Amino acid sequence: MVNLIMKAKHIIIATATSLVALTQMSCEKVSPQGVLMAGTGVEDRVKMSELYYRDHLMSSTNNIFVHADEHGEYNYSFLVGADSHLTTDRGRMDEMFSIGLENDDLLYCHLGDIADTKPEYYIILDQLIQDAKENYVNKYYEQNQYGRWRQKIDPYDMIGTEYDNIKFPFYPVVGNHDITHNGWALWSNIFKSSFYEFDVNCGYDENGKPIRDHFIFLDTASGTLGQRQVELIQQGLLDGENDYRYTFLFSHTNIFLPSHFQFASTFPREEAYFLLDQFDKWNVSAVFCGHVHKWDDRFYNYVYYVTLDSMSERNSPNPGDYLVRVRVNGKGGIEFEKVRMNYVAKK
Amino acid sequence: MKKKIVLLFVLAATAIAGMAQNSYIPYKAFDGEHKNELSGYVMGGKNFVAGNFGGLEASYTRHFTPRWHVGGDAQMQFGKQLFSIDVQGGYRLPVKYGNINFDGKIMYNHYHKYGSHEMAFNLSATWESAYVDFRIGESIVHYHKRSRVMGWGYTEPPLLTFGFGANIRHRNNPWNVGFFFRNYDDFYYENWNINWGFRWYAKLDEQFRLFGEFNIRPAGSMSQLASKYESSVKIGLKYKW
Repeated sequence: MVNLIMKAKHIIIATATSLVALTQMSCEKVSPQGVLMAGTGVEDRVKMSELYYRDHLMSSTNNIFVHADEHGEYNYSFLVGADSHLTTDRGRMDEMFSIGLENDDLLYCHLGDIADTKPEYYIILDQLIQDAKENYVNKYYEQNQYGRWRQKIDPYDMIGTEYDNIKFPFYPVVGNHDITHNGWALWSNIFKSSFYEFDVNCGYDENGKPIRDHFIFLDTASGTLGQRQVELIQQGLLDGENDYRYTFLFSHTNIFLPSHFQFASTFPREEAYFLLDQFDKWNVSAVFCGHVHKWDDRFYNYVYYVTLDSMSERNSPNPGDYLVRVRVNGKGGIEFEKVRMNYVAKK
Repeated sequence: MKKKIVLLFVLAATAIAGMAQNSYIPYKAFDGEHKNELSGYVMGGKNFVAGNFGGLEASYTRHFTPRWHVGGDAQMQFGKQLFSIDVQGGYRLPVKYGNINFDGKIMYNHYHKYGSHEMAFNLSATWESAYVDFRIGESIVHYHKRSRVMGWGYTEPPLLTFGFGANIRHRNNPWNVGFFFRNYDDFYYENWNINWGFRWYAKLDEQFRLFGEFNIRPAGSMSQLASKYESSVKIGLKYKW
């Protein structure tokens, strides 16, 4: 037995030494200014995004205010699309924005893989977002006598704002196709942070307390949140005050598998269970995912999970219900509605 | 002594190059003589959501005949707050080049930290030869939160289970080193997250054998960008009689 222990000792020492070496292999890849020094892995993305998030996105000025309708109700809706895989054909993205504009949707959410990673595709993406913003501003804003812009619904706004300061309400998450071939540099140049949150304010309740809905966007492009994002969540960064009426969560990577034949990685086991538990703690009403290009919806532990089909004209060439509209009623209640896209790629 | 030095060098090299885990076919291969196998390992590692973790595992296998066996495994992982237990049985079919093992497993996992209960069922066939082994099967995984509400949880569609391993020496040698990749481990079955690593064993005498694994468990293997999710190590001792 002594011989056995002596033999085992050498092996255990060698193993322990190797493990210590492994734990020392991590290194800092992001400069203090947030410049990416190497890699587009999830830790680098989250570190960069955290800097931007803390500097620019934690302010309440990022929150959205819903205006009461003629009946005094604070109803609103938002549109969700996924996996547009934009190349040179901008038809489906343009259609998403025009559908939202026509329906007066408050905001647009995109579940990642917005464009395949070539600089020219991102130039097209940037241009179509600018065009969508122009249409949005023309519909909801007007210029005052000083050439500044104010919302048409708020004619008493005498100050107005500059065009560049108008926030176009388009909120994407990053997908795995957005970060390959240095795509993160292109994506982050337009959208800055890969995770963020904001509130939608919907008036006040009978006690004068603000009614707020919470929107959380996670970076799940690598099939994992990464260590830093998990730490930030555990530290309560995206938690808010936890007294929201509804919380909506957006993730590229899906949790539930639509079928046996969906060959796409999902979260590792513990991480899936961590997320399901975290969504429970956040009191999330609905989770929206993309990634697998296949529709799936189900309840799990009182949370509604929706996995959207791809809205790309290449993956889904025929017209179909590729978008989801969520209607939030001022008096309470959420309705989900599939929205048809009719654009077909030119041959 | 020379063998020891070579073995230690290979161990250190594989550990530095890679990382961590078990399910190692050769050390479990049945020699047709003994009736009982008792093994256990200690594990340690780190992953993104649980941080550092460690644990203990124990297994027992009873060979009723040279062809048929049943067994059970249990583990406790601290940090993850994970408790697992399974029962399994199998049939060994000798073929011209090695054996084909048909086995079934029923497993329960309780992820206490996240309030999740998981049941997994697996049927697999493993072809093992002198140097390589290949495993293919199907798994069904069901999980639910502790509160068991809204439809009693979720049952995944059948998952393909696959694995491949290769050794640098014939499997009958007293020590061996190899590598593997697979979408499962002793106590989990994944979708398309393919973990990989290095494995080894060393025969101490006719009854005792040391074994271990270094395993890297990524996320996003099939999403173009595999990210390291977990690295771990197992070191164990097997006793047969």
